Amino acid sequence: MPTDPRPAHSRSRVSRRDFLKRAGVGAAAMTPLIGGVTTRRASAQPTSPYPDWVPPSPKPPKRGKLLTRASAWDPPVLDPRLTNSVGLSQIATLTSNRLVRYPFSDEATSTTDLTLKGDLAESWQGSPDFRVWTFKLRKGVKWQNVAPLNGRELVAADIKYCYEQYAKEGVQSFTFQEIEGIETPEPYTVRIHLTKPNTMFPQNLAEPVSVIFAREVLEQDGDLKKRLIGTGPYILKEHTRKVRVVLARNPDYFEQGRPYIDEYHILSTPDAATRLAAFRSGQSDIHFVASLSDAGIVKKTNPDAQIQEYKTVQTVFGLALAQDKPPYNDVRVRRAISMAIDRQKQVDTLYGGHGILGWGIPYFYFQDKMPTAAQLGPYWQYKPAEAKKLLSEAGHPNGFETTLFYYEYFPEMTSQVQLVQQDLKKNLNIEIKISKLDYTTFYGRYAEGKWDGMSWGFKTGYATGLDEQTYQYMHSRSSKNYWRFSDSVIDELVTKLRQTPDKTEQKNLTKKVMEREHDQVTRMWMPYDAGFMVWQPYLRNTGSLALRRNDGYGASTLARLWIDK
Amino acid sequence: MAIATAPARSFEAPVTEQISRIRSLWTVMKRKPLGMISAALILILVLTAIFANVLAPYDPLAAQPEIRLAPPSWAHPFGTDDIGRDVLSRVIFGSRISLWVALLAVGIGTSVGMVVGLVSGYWEGRLDLILQRLMDALMTIPGLILALAIVSVLRPSTTNAMLAIAMVIIPGNSRVVRGAVLSAKQNRFVEAAQAIGCRDYRIIASHILPNVTAPILILASIWLGNAILIEASLSFLGVGTQPPDPSWGLMLSSTGRAFMEQAPWLAVFPGAAISLAVFGFNLFGDTLRDAWDPKLRRKG
Amino acid sequence: MYKYVLRRLALSIPVLILSSLIVFGLMRVMPGDALTALMGESGNVSAKELAKLRKDLGLDLPYYKQYLIWLWQMVSLSPGDSIFTNEPITVALKKSIPVTIELAVLALILGLAIAIPIGVLSATRQDKASDYAGRVAAITGLSLPDFWLGTLVITFAAIWFRWIPPLGYASLWDNPWTNLQQFLLPAAVLGFRLSAATMRMTRSTLLEVLREDYVRTAWAKGLGERIIIYKHALKNALIPVITLVGGQFGTLLAGTVIVETIFALPGMGRLTVEAILFRDYPIVQTNVMLVAVTLVTLNLIVDLTYAWLDPRIRYQ
Repeated sequence: MPTDPRPAHSRSRVSRRDFLKRAGVGAAAMTPLIGGVTTRRASAQPTSPYPDWVPPSPKPPKRGKLLTRASAWDPPVLDPRLTNSVGLSQIATLTSNRLVRYPFSDEATSTTDLTLKGDLAESWQGSPDFRVWTFKLRKGVKWQNVAPLNGRELVAADIKYCYEQYAKEGVQSFTFQEIEGIETPEPYTVRIHLTKPNTMFPQNLAEPVSVIFAREVLEQDGDLKKRLIGTGPYILKEHTRKVRVVLARNPDYFEQGRPYIDEYHILSTPDAATRLAAFRSGQSDIHFVASLSDAGIVKKTNPDAQIQEYKTVQTVFGLALAQDKPPYNDVRVRRAISMAIDRQKQVDTLYGGHGILGWGIPYFYFQDKMPTAAQLGPYWQYKPAEAKKLLSEAGHPNGFETTLFYYEYFPEMTSQVQLVQQDLKKNLNIEIKISKLDYTTFYGRYAEGKWDGMSWGFKTGYATGLDEQTYQYMHSRSSKNYWRFSDSVIDELVTKLRQTPDKTEQKNLTKKVMEREHDQVTRMWMPYDAGFMVWQPYLRNTGSLALRRNDGYGASTLARLWIDK
Repeated sequence: MAIATAPARSFEAPVTEQISRIRSLWTVMKRKPLGMISAALILILVLTAIFANVLAPYDPLAAQPEIRLAPPSWAHPFGTDDIGRDVLSRVIFGSRISLWVALLAVGIGTSVGMVVGLVSGYWEGRLDLILQRLMDALMTIPGLILALAIVSVLRPSTTNAMLAIAMVIIPGNSRVVRGAVLSAKQNRFVEAAQAIGCRDYRIIASHILPNVTAPILILASIWLGNAILIEASLSFLGVGTQPPDPSWGLMLSSTGRAFMEQAPWLAVFPGAAISLAVFGFNLFGDTLRDAWDPKLRRKG
Repeated sequence: MYKYVLRRLALSIPVLILSSLIVFGLMRVMPGDALTALMGESGNVSAKELAKLRKDLGLDLPYYKQYLIWLWQMVSLSPGDSIFTNEPITVALKKSIPVTIELAVLALILGLAIAIPIGVLSATRQDKASDYAGRVAAITGLSLPDFWLGTLVITFAAIWFRWIPPLGYASLWDNPWTNLQQFLLPAAVLGFRLSAATMRMTRSTLLEVLREDYVRTAWAKGLGERIIIYKHALKNALIPVITLVGGQFGTLLAGTVIVETIFALPGMGRLTVEAILFRDYPIVQTNVMLVAVTLVTLNLIVDLTYAWLDPRIRYQ
């Protein structure tokens, strides 16, 4: 692991300045932001005062102690076949392992380091046609010493069983149904045959939701709702619904010496103000804030808190249109709407300059640096006059009326929705009636896919791998294509992507996918800020790497966390 | 003695009765300054709502995100909100929504409750039994939960929040009205009127209603305040007024709480508005009771 | 008397049935399904899988069948499982009822402990400064939304005192000290509104009673103020107050919804609201029926007590 002698703080400042230079933006407005109040429109992304990566601590780790976190999420069920919810992943990624995984905070070379590492697998190999993948398992991995597993060894048959169950029923089935068959020629080898070639298949096994669960539990209980037993660093000691989850260190974990922390308590705390109060009073060790000004607020009362920027590499939310019907099935209408929305203003004002304009695939999959505004294509620019002309050409010179429903995932989203409403009214005379819904109504309506008008849509938040981000979300026949678009060029590109082993070629293809998406405005991504992680000063090896927030889907990295008290 | 004096009263036109009511109210208000204050508050609220577009310095929906979260200043005496809208203008227009919610919810709730109570109390019998059981059934569901369930069914909006609150008000009101009707029926002059063969509606209008209006109005004044609070709670739970409408409850529960420390003015002003309105309505209800409650009056 | 009791009991049953119909109807008419919430932020589930899940949970049966099944479950005291968690509802109730009861009782005690003395003070010093102060304080209490008071309390406790009630509910029997710390603030917030209403009621009924003839006689006899108030007047003044408090019980239960959410207590209010938002029909229906039965029983007891005390009603 390379050690950079410069302190992390200055390292990130340099990289941001570099980015700004390359983006061709003036150096004038690099003022640090205070509390989000700007009287002048900022023309560049000001520096964030917080680093986007926290290097591992050079001190030797100390064992023991208790980690607590006030969590917004209750696990809906403990059964990983039935839910992808972060409420479960915050626990399951600690009680269980996957075949492969992404780097932890103390082994990553940068925040966007997504080199696949072995978790339960020691090594793996794809056949030349990428239809057969062979995984060699670690020897001596033990299931947790809890009945009925009682610490027996993990074998290949366990993996085979899991994946077959995932394919059979539940929310993971789409991913696992591309498996034609699984062989276990000997106890530590798993050979997976796919129906079609997929060069990126192992990535799907590294997703936080693809945890390996225990066959005996499923066979005895009939489901996985009551017990969650795995091979992971923490044993689920207690799960009191709506109160707390207690995770206790697994003494037989296959990674010698880890985890460091003895117990991790997750306290159910539905209200945001209460979670903040818990952090301030020391009852919660880890806290998440959505914006720069929120981070500033915490810093005021807790000046010693460590704050890390959770790097924004993609947007999860955007303006979803019922684009299988008029008027949105006309690409001119979509382009016009996209050009009538002032994305830069949203970034400058709502996110204090610290957000991205919005794109749907993590940028490092198609280029090395964050996309500039120009690279996002002509239809991502704010050109109201052109938009109006285009909309008139499409047959709506006087605009039209429509509806927009959404769920407020965080307060800035409501601000964004209203700004979009104002932009579209002002520039295109499109009248939007907003419906702010509760979670169930929103999710049900959105996922059902029969709604009219507009929605503040999303793609699911856990996806780390490229295959998930492209094929699984964008192919016209995929069940995860919430945006209801069907584009033959994209279908062709993402299918070809799966058959491309060369990394550079993959980048080129992904870039073409992104460009096509922005040209056809199949998903109208909106500005976003992934937020900031806040830690009590005595935590070490913290660090939420990109796409892996460690209070949620990226919780597996907490096995490397330790408390310096 | 009831019989000697009652006939004279019972054939008095109801109008005179009302005038004496108002006169007694005025007397009480003059004596008790809190009563005047509450009346003034309500008057201010109503006038603000009626003349909102004259009073408000800006369009309450005009977003200027560049000046978002600005503290109070000469240009914006109440500051600006999360997308740069003028808070003063939003609070002024919010009076319309809050008043609208309160009046409609209480109006519907009171009238329907009054009708149900009248029918129940006057004719009694099987109709009474059925209606009262229905009212009891509604009352066994805690108010906020009933409102939440109704709004979830009807789709969240200001209008539906009003209807939900009205449903919460109806059972209690009908009970009170029924009680008042029952006690009014006990009066000899009602018996006399029935014996003479007066038509029912005449009896109700002349003898029953006047006894009922006082408790109803007192209840209504208190429910006006409660309606505003329930709408705020529904907004807190996410099912009340829809953005960008400037209801005080929505302002307090969403942006007020989210930006509580960065921009406390987002909560202070709508919150103060809610408190003053509820304060005014409750205090006015007290004053009405002081003026019209027969128990307090006769023995005072 | 016997007949009266029977009549009252008999009347309660249609009320309960009507309540159950109202709740059942409302839950079914709501858009969205418990299943969609179950999916969480997951991938789109195929229609076939959704149908299978629906069948497993009994949601594909015609409404009247679902209603009758549930009614039988209520009557036989076996309410079935939550759709969302598959946990038996009795388990969820056993855990959440004590929380809400403790919260409500503490709120009641705190509220009354503040309200009655202030109400007495206000009444005896009518129209003087302390009366005004008391009444203004009471009405302010009635004008603040619950969620706002709760938010202010928890935020400033953390900022000023670096302390908030310990999260992670501990039951009264296991850990009484932690438990009391957890319940003090939320009970105070909840009790604040109750105390405001009670204070005003105490004041007005006491004012009425103080004007009664027997009280005037006591004054004339030269009895001390204390004795008059606490021995004679208060007892009679408290009867309507008790009626009010009984009536406020429903409001108290509704208020627990918000206070439990903010202070992270796993009580029935929070359970019910989250169940409504997640369309977990069995939980909502069972909880509301439970509250309905409780309220109806309470009313019954109150009515029967009045009947026992008041001969006029008894011999109707």
